[in-house]
Amino acid sequence: MYVHAGIVLGVMAVVFAVARLLKATTELSMLAAAIGGAIAHGGLISPRHIVDGAFTYFDVTLIFITATFFMNLLKRAGGVDYIIRGIIKRFHKHRALSLLFLTLVMLVPGALTGSGSVTVLVVGALVGTVLTYMGITKERVAAIIFLCAAMSAAAPPINLWAMMAAAGSNMPYVGFFLPLGVISVLGALFSMFFLGWKGTPVQLEKVMDELPKPATGMVGWKVFLPFAVFFGLVLAGRLWPWTMPTLGLPLMFMIAAAVTVATSPKRLPIFKVARETVEGLLPLIGVMVVVGILVQVMALSGARGLISLGVVTLPLPIIFAALWLILPSAEGLVQYAAAPLLGVPLILLFNMNGINPIMALAGMAVMFPIGDMLPPTTVVGRATTMAVGFEGSYYQGFVKRCLIPAAFILLLGTLYIVFGNELSFLVAG
Amino acid sequence: MKANKEWIVKSIALAVWIGILISSGIAFAQHRQYKETVVLGEAVTQVKTLGDYFEPIKGTTNDCNIYILDSGVPGGTLLIMGAVHAEEPATNLAAQLIVENAGMATGRVIVAIHQNRSASTVTRPGDAYPQFFTIDTDWGEKKFRMGDRWANPLDSWPDPETYVHYPSGQMLAYMDTRNMNRTWPGRANGSLAEKTSYAFMRLIEQENVSLTIDLHEAELEYPIIGTIVAHQGALNVAAMASMMLTAQEFPIGMEISPLALHGLSHREIGDYSNSPCILLESPEPFLDRVRGVTDEALLLTGQDEFVMKAGEQGLLYWPIDENGWSIDIRVARHVRTIEKLTELWTRFHADSAMVFAGLPSYDEMVEQGVGHFFADPDSVPADRLAFE
Amino acid sequence: MIIMILYYIMAAFFGVVLFWNFVKSKDVQKAILYLVILMPFVLRVFRLK
Repeated sequence: MYVHAGIVLGVMAVVFAVARLLKATTELSMLAAAIGGAIAHGGLISPRHIVDGAFTYFDVTLIFITATFFMNLLKRAGGVDYIIRGIIKRFHKHRALSLLFLTLVMLVPGALTGSGSVTVLVVGALVGTVLTYMGITKERVAAIIFLCAAMSAAAPPINLWAMMAAAGSNMPYVGFFLPLGVISVLGALFSMFFLGWKGTPVQLEKVMDELPKPATGMVGWKVFLPFAVFFGLVLAGRLWPWTMPTLGLPLMFMIAAAVTVATSPKRLPIFKVARETVEGLLPLIGVMVVVGILVQVMALSGARGLISLGVVTLPLPIIFAALWLILPSAEGLVQYAAAPLLGVPLILLFNMNGINPIMALAGMAVMFPIGDMLPPTTVVGRATTMAVGFEGSYYQGFVKRCLIPAAFILLLGTLYIVFGNELSFLVAG
Repeated sequence: MKANKEWIVKSIALAVWIGILISSGIAFAQHRQYKETVVLGEAVTQVKTLGDYFEPIKGTTNDCNIYILDSGVPGGTLLIMGAVHAEEPATNLAAQLIVENAGMATGRVIVAIHQNRSASTVTRPGDAYPQFFTIDTDWGEKKFRMGDRWANPLDSWPDPETYVHYPSGQMLAYMDTRNMNRTWPGRANGSLAEKTSYAFMRLIEQENVSLTIDLHEAELEYPIIGTIVAHQGALNVAAMASMMLTAQEFPIGMEISPLALHGLSHREIGDYSNSPCILLESPEPFLDRVRGVTDEALLLTGQDEFVMKAGEQGLLYWPIDENGWSIDIRVARHVRTIEKLTELWTRFHADSAMVFAGLPSYDEMVEQGVGHFFADPDSVPADRLAFE
Repeated sequence: MIIMILYYIMAAFFGVVLFWNFVKSKDVQKAILYLVILMPFVLRVFRLK
């Protein structure tokens, strides 16, 4: 079994490398690696495994497409320019206040939906533009947006990693609010101020000249109504969970999109915007679909088990020392599936060793989303660079810039686990 | 020239794509539409469907068969629920084995073989489950659907962005709105799984069920395994069963249903009806995250080198050796534990006695295999057949 | 039920958009990726998975 799973992993790595050498894109190289791995496992497998795998992140794909579609329509309608001008006018004199306000804006969407991508796609471009006008380099802007988005996904009430791992280890998702809140707010504020404090004061007149003028007829309520509808629907679902029909995030975004179309001062080319949306998202959703196929083949062949076993059989001190690397890497590889795959056995392992499981899981649940910038998926990282229009080197520029605040967050997460019992007073919240 | 080449490659890609879609589409449709055959045992007096107890479920995928085995001798009523999680095959096999083999001396038994039928029509994307598994019988192979933990999105789409359990308000991950062991006591106008739970609560009410037994299997990495989890209304029965079975037949633990965990059968059914609920867990290495090759053999033999390694490292809550945990042993544990629970229930509640007559013994099931106890559908008249 | 139907319409709409982009794409690798992404959309719309 060890040899078999090892061979499959090896074949996948070789096929990926060869495909890259032959100038195939990352996504198609991963697809080739998955097919190569499947053949190494047992010849030609049933095509249904390929399609089954392609479904793994279908829900998330729909959320990505609809959220981006909504924002792209709003951009076309001139709403985004309107909001940016408004924020800059109001906050240009107070840098600290601006950064605080922008951190809050970044935290809300992910805290409510549990998705960092939603944060990036809904408010990333907006906040990014404002930060750019505050004299912050594009590299730093992208890093801020990504890290705040990661923290928003980690922030309570919805933290999907904690929820999935809690469900898998028979723990109620109760007592997490304060542990998650403290660590995610600290992480977001540190990222925002560490990367965004240095800059130049906003020269209001120059900025107002440079910023595109909103379309004629664009007024405040027309911009805020779609957002109000979206957040109103999310909140209504939470406030009246048993009377509100279940809409789901994609439909909420589509309703917000419909409101945008209805209130736009100009006629919007819906099909064209949809085509541009899908084209812009191609690398992102492409990689998610392909990683799903890869994960299916890895599960089929035992390669996934081999990796999982390798991690959980490490000695406890080494796990403590390496979690900051293991959890984000697993997230980079399999996205949310990392929570049941590694989160559950680890939380049970910590529990066996007398560590407060809620604190340990809160610590881990904040470390996972940092991996959303890591390969092979790089999902939220790529979404960020696309949203803020960062065109420099992904790893040398963007990822490198994230490292110090990411290290701070990972350190906090590790401290939560190691000193879980000492910090357990937070659980009362 | 370049444009030509582009069109040729795209056309080939499109042809391959259509081929993959047709072939996988057929595979998915065959899985979803496959019907398992159930031979009605002599004790089965009536087959209803869940929709008979709650009209809105009628005609939906979850309008599952409800088998009633009535002794004709007044006593208690036992409800057995199989495949609440359809990726735990020993549960529906145990339920079906009872339908096909049990005799009843006192009281009634009501059985749902596929309690969340929708979940049995889909496998989990990314987990590479086999779609079917077969059991060797005395007359040939008997084929069953492998399913998932959650109801099929084709029957329940979309999920909320977070699932808020009714009526506790406890928040759970979004997909658990399709997990029938998180939706008790259910909601008349909720998701399919919530409605199904609601319908079962009406069944429990209308049939005056005395005791409910919910069958499960678990990964060995999971702390609640090889055990009986009991609502406080059935603690004495569960504790005695655990002690007696462990002393005389096979080790099985006992746990009290936690008060703070909501949506689970052993908590809510007892709290919201007159029937206490007991949940049984058997070990299923196939579900372990550290498992090796995912295939039908692992599903049926429960033998896995990686899971064994995890056990050597002290990471498991249940022992495993090279013999694994075969489907025969897992089914036998369930059937025998049910029988023991009814014996003890009858001892403690003489007014609602339930006594089986004619269930195979643990040793018989393990030695002869569960397949031996499934009757040949060709050997009985059509009106003694049901389909799942 | 109405919401579920809206989801099928949504999946069909974006499925058409993805297919149209496949047809129009001049980059063969991108075109293939469109097809891969399209698979779950098609099977969901046809209620096969």
